[in-house]
Amino acid sequence: MMMMGKTLLAASFVLAGAVAAHAHAQLESANPRVGSVVSAAPSVLTLNFSEAVEPAFSSVQVTDAGGRRVDGGKMRVDRGNPRQVQVPLQALAPGQYNVRWRVLSADTHKTEGSFGFEVRP
Amino acid sequence: MSSLAFGHDWRRRFPRPSAQAGTVAAFAGLAFILYGASPAAAHCFAGSRFFPATLSVEDPCVADELSLPTISSFKTGDIPANRELDISGEFSKRITEDFGVSIGRTYTRLWVPGGPGAHGWQNLETTFKYQFLTWPQAEFVVSAGVSVEWGRTGNASVGAEKFHTVTPTLWVGKGMGDLPPSFGFARAFALTGQVGYAIPTWRRTVTVTSIDLDTGDVELDEERHRHFLEYGGSIQFSMPYLKANVVDLGLPDVFNRMVPLVEARFRTPVANMIQMANTWDENNRTTGTVNPGIIYVADKFQIGAEAIIPINRASGKGVGWVAQLHFYLDDIFPTTIGRPIIPISARIGQ
Repeated sequence: MMMMGKTLLAASFVLAGAVAAHAHAQLESANPRVGSVVSAAPSVLTLNFSEAVEPAFSSVQVTDAGGRRVDGGKMRVDRGNPRQVQVPLQALAPGQYNVRWRVLSADTHKTEGSFGFEVRP
Repeated sequence: MSSLAFGHDWRRRFPRPSAQAGTVAAFAGLAFILYGASPAAAHCFAGSRFFPATLSVEDPCVADELSLPTISSFKTGDIPANRELDISGEFSKRITEDFGVSIGRTYTRLWVPGGPGAHGWQNLETTFKYQFLTWPQAEFVVSAGVSVEWGRTGNASVGAEKFHTVTPTLWVGKGMGDLPPSFGFARAFALTGQVGYAIPTWRRTVTVTSIDLDTGDVELDEERHRHFLEYGGSIQFSMPYLKANVVDLGLPDVFNRMVPLVEARFRTPVANMIQMANTWDENNRTTGTVNPGIIYVADKFQIGAEAIIPINRASGKGVGWVAQLHFYLDDIFPTTIGRPIIPISARIGQ
């Protein structure tokens, strides 16, 4: 019993030590913040992920309450910080907006998510 | 896939996925040799929803995972109750993107009041699982499969049976993120469930209890092996989902990685029961536990702990506990054992 316990413990430590590879890219923060109400219309949407993002296989769409796209085109991954994605926005009128993102992390894991924010002067 | 295991009494009632260290190592070695190449989804994702590996019911997906160890301690439903400690592990491997196999086993130690204790291995268990439906927009996942407990692979001293038990099972997961935004925090909830039908390969075991040497009379004891309906589920509140998809409350990261949950698992005998006229056989009642707890989700592993609360005396005595360390092999070894051996997918909706 003791021997088996030690073996299990050792195996767990080995695995824990192996935790150096990439993981799924999760959204860590956004600006505007997820679910927030902002008084000034942002001109850029910034997403910060937990892993580096492959821009060629990733996308971000921002739509208004009517489903019309209000992002200003192609997303951009920061060269100095490949975990950060920026998307230019059109001039946003007061209202609710939805962000839908799909990204591929460096180790080919796909993740996606969506959130809303509101512009209320 | 994943989940856990629980001691002889608990485990006998609730067949678990777990695993023996040696078997795990052998399987891992084989997987290293056979590694394939494919784009990876893995984990248990349905759209934006991540279903963590739950401790007492299985999550509804096929994945490359290792639960090692899972440790549980509780008092059994025997009268008087025995104290039981279980240490188990489970290794899950995707063969294709949608089809996986898991192998698990449990080491049990029993303390019997006023009697000798016992320790040994429970029977080896294998689960074959096919994730046939993934509906990302609805955060909905369905898998079907069969679990097999292999008889004569464990120690009878801790209750391992000589016969096999085959359990066809359906697993379901549903996130609430597709509710309208007005539902707010409720969108961070998710439900998982499973239902299976356990069929022993022996209908009964007959043992000779005594022989009268004068008359030659033989006294026999017959034990019927009942069929069980096994069902359960979990309700989860995902702080990671809340932060990334509903509202970022600006909480410290440690809170944003927690998933408080309540799991429940039950077992009801439904066939091959002993019928006694005008009497209620206590052995034929539903047993089960309700397990409130919490899972901490890190990038490449998770840690979970739950209380084990029996629903009646036949299910156990007092409150036990279970804890688990669980590794996401698809993240730790993304180019080797974290990938399906054959990178094809035939699932609906993804």
